Amino acid sequence: MPSVSFPSTPSRIKTLAWAAALLSAAALSGTAQAASMKDGVKAYKPFIAENIAKAIAGAKEMQTAVKAGDLKAAQDAWIKSRKGWEVMEPVTGTYFGEFDKSVDPWPNAKSGYHAIEVVLFSAKKTEGLDQPIAEMLANMDKFEKKLNDKKFAFAPQLLLEGTANLAYEVGEEKSGGGESPYAATSIIDMQENVEGIEVAWKLVFADTLKKKDPKLAGIVEERIGNLEKLVGVADIKSMDAKKVHVGGEELAALMLQAAPKLGLKSFKVGDEDEEAAEKAK
Amino acid sequence: MRFRPLQAVVAAGLVVAASMAPAHATPVVSKDATLPVGSELNEELLNQPTELFGFERAGGKRSYLFNLGDMLFSSSSIFGGKAADAGMSCNSCHQQGASNPKLFVPGLSAKPGTFDTTGPLFNAKADNGVFDPVTVPSLRGDKYLAPYGHDGRIASLREFIRNVIVNEFAGAEPSGQVLDALVTYVNEISFLPNEKITSDGHLTDKASDSARRGEALFNKPFPKNASMSCATCHEANAAFVDHKVHDIGTGGYFKTKTLINAKFNAPYFHDGRFDSFDEVVGYFDKHYELGLSASEQSDLVAYLDTIGDADTPFTPNTVQAEVDELSQFASVLDVAIPARDKQVIRLAVDSVGAEWREVGENFPDRKDTSVEGGVAERMRARASVRDLVLTLRQVAMAAEIDDFQEAARLYGEYRKTVAVVTPYLKAAEQYSLFNPRVHEKHFAALRQLADLAK
Repeated sequence: MPSVSFPSTPSRIKTLAWAAALLSAAALSGTAQAASMKDGVKAYKPFIAENIAKAIAGAKEMQTAVKAGDLKAAQDAWIKSRKGWEVMEPVTGTYFGEFDKSVDPWPNAKSGYHAIEVVLFSAKKTEGLDQPIAEMLANMDKFEKKLNDKKFAFAPQLLLEGTANLAYEVGEEKSGGGESPYAATSIIDMQENVEGIEVAWKLVFADTLKKKDPKLAGIVEERIGNLEKLVGVADIKSMDAKKVHVGGEELAALMLQAAPKLGLKSFKVGDEDEEAAEKAK
Repeated sequence: MRFRPLQAVVAAGLVVAASMAPAHATPVVSKDATLPVGSELNEELLNQPTELFGFERAGGKRSYLFNLGDMLFSSSSIFGGKAADAGMSCNSCHQQGASNPKLFVPGLSAKPGTFDTTGPLFNAKADNGVFDPVTVPSLRGDKYLAPYGHDGRIASLREFIRNVIVNEFAGAEPSGQVLDALVTYVNEISFLPNEKITSDGHLTDKASDSARRGEALFNKPFPKNASMSCATCHEANAAFVDHKVHDIGTGGYFKTKTLINAKFNAPYFHDGRFDSFDEVVGYFDKHYELGLSASEQSDLVAYLDTIGDADTPFTPNTVQAEVDELSQFASVLDVAIPARDKQVIRLAVDSVGAEWREVGENFPDRKDTSVEGGVAERMRARASVRDLVLTLRQVAMAAEIDDFQEAARLYGEYRKTVAVVTPYLKAAEQYSLFNPRVHEKHFAALRQLADLAK
């Protein structure tokens, strides 16, 4: 079973590059050596900007390949575009839900990744995809525009919830072939998801938790590394689904435990109802 | 042909019946899936086979061992290899303790409802090199149906269950407690009541005249061998079995099958070669040269249909039914946490968590284009399930580091969370796959996607 060791993964290298960039930003702004969550969410925005740009670039390449009737190039561009999308999943649902449901819908959407996937990878055709790709690109452009608005900012609370939720969801539907069953590239989706978790954690939360609870911070980092190892396999069939589920659940649960230590809420469903009931008393 | 009022009424009835029938889920479509493309586990049942347990009929209660067995029966954690990876459990084949007429795995099934338990896919060590699929039997009344296996090769239910776990599905050697629990559970799976037969297997006044004529034929000596009748092997006062194996010309010795609730056990014979009682009766007529007329065959079929019936064969699945069942599964923690039984705590957290995840999948997220309305309710239901799973996971994490006090506190929190989120799950039920209309739309969309792939 091929596996990728944690210290040498490309995603790990990319993540470290982002963490280094954050530390530079912190130094320039004269803040303490450890980055605050406020610095972190600022640094996280360009990470998302880079990846929506990748998703758009891949989709444009796919558009060109489809027009040329080049199936292989269109498939490669689909995978390239999707990598950019999947690494942003801590925020696609929480901050960009209105575009997420248009870019990544299923099962019977007329546009979006999966409508295109089934034609490119299963029917192995390029015909009839001009409109679906154009629609997907239009929604990605809107996503980018919203992100680039100066007033737009990520907040630690919602970002933690999105990150923990993604950790909980990694590996779901593995038995049926995962999120991209026709392209058979679900393992790439999962690898990008885990990288997205790692980047969000390291950029925004890791340093603050290290100050508040170094032991818990160490455990979270170890579990992220563990999850990265578990999905760092050649294909989804080689992945141990149960270990990924348990690993993802443990990581999400640890993030829940970390929330109050980070000065955040534990984001349980029903809390808002209890608060409302308290206020009503 | 003119459409007469009577036909209109019948047709309307059929429409209702069709909408209540289990919608056909799409089979496996991805080459990346754990099971081969074309596999069908028939997991998305709206109307589930009715479950009835012996202690319920006697006015008793669920024991710890029973709850543990019930939970394990639905858990992939006791299996290994591909079965565990595919999330399969005993319940995948024996749905609610009954059979699974649609189960199909390419390479292991000759037709839906059959499965080669000694094939290479799930445990290469048990591969006998012969493609010999057999039907998936219902487990109703199993305690009365020894010996076990189609050829009756295993005398004890306990040994049979161990063989299923270890040899058929590559699981680790089960502990004594695990086997005791599963045996306890299976022994409680009861035949379903049928008001058309008495406790000793005779017809009541609810049965039709045709069935009565069939009963007489069933007990009538065969023309070419007066020492035999259908009832020779299918003894009416003994669950219609004789606990023996017989060669009836189907390729070897196979044990007598029960006829109670058998209407729901198709396909028939050890290898599932017959899809209906008509075919079964036709075979016996020919093989034993019974010389039955068409109307006599019809009467025998009516008899089999009558004694094989059940008053309530199916029960609609609901949010409340799922909440109740999973609360019963999780209740093993009431005992396991104070007993510091890490094995059961781990099994319970893994199994109940996996079951909750399946419940969660019934609430499509906002990206599901086949479902309209109730986005906020559906998202809240999904988040509710996430909270339940994560709270349970923390129970296991605490137990792993021997902090059983914290595990007990977290289990209490889990129970409170179940109470808090159940109304959220119910509020989303109408927009979920528990609703037959939503269910059909969702799976129609999946079929549409699968068609596009062709």
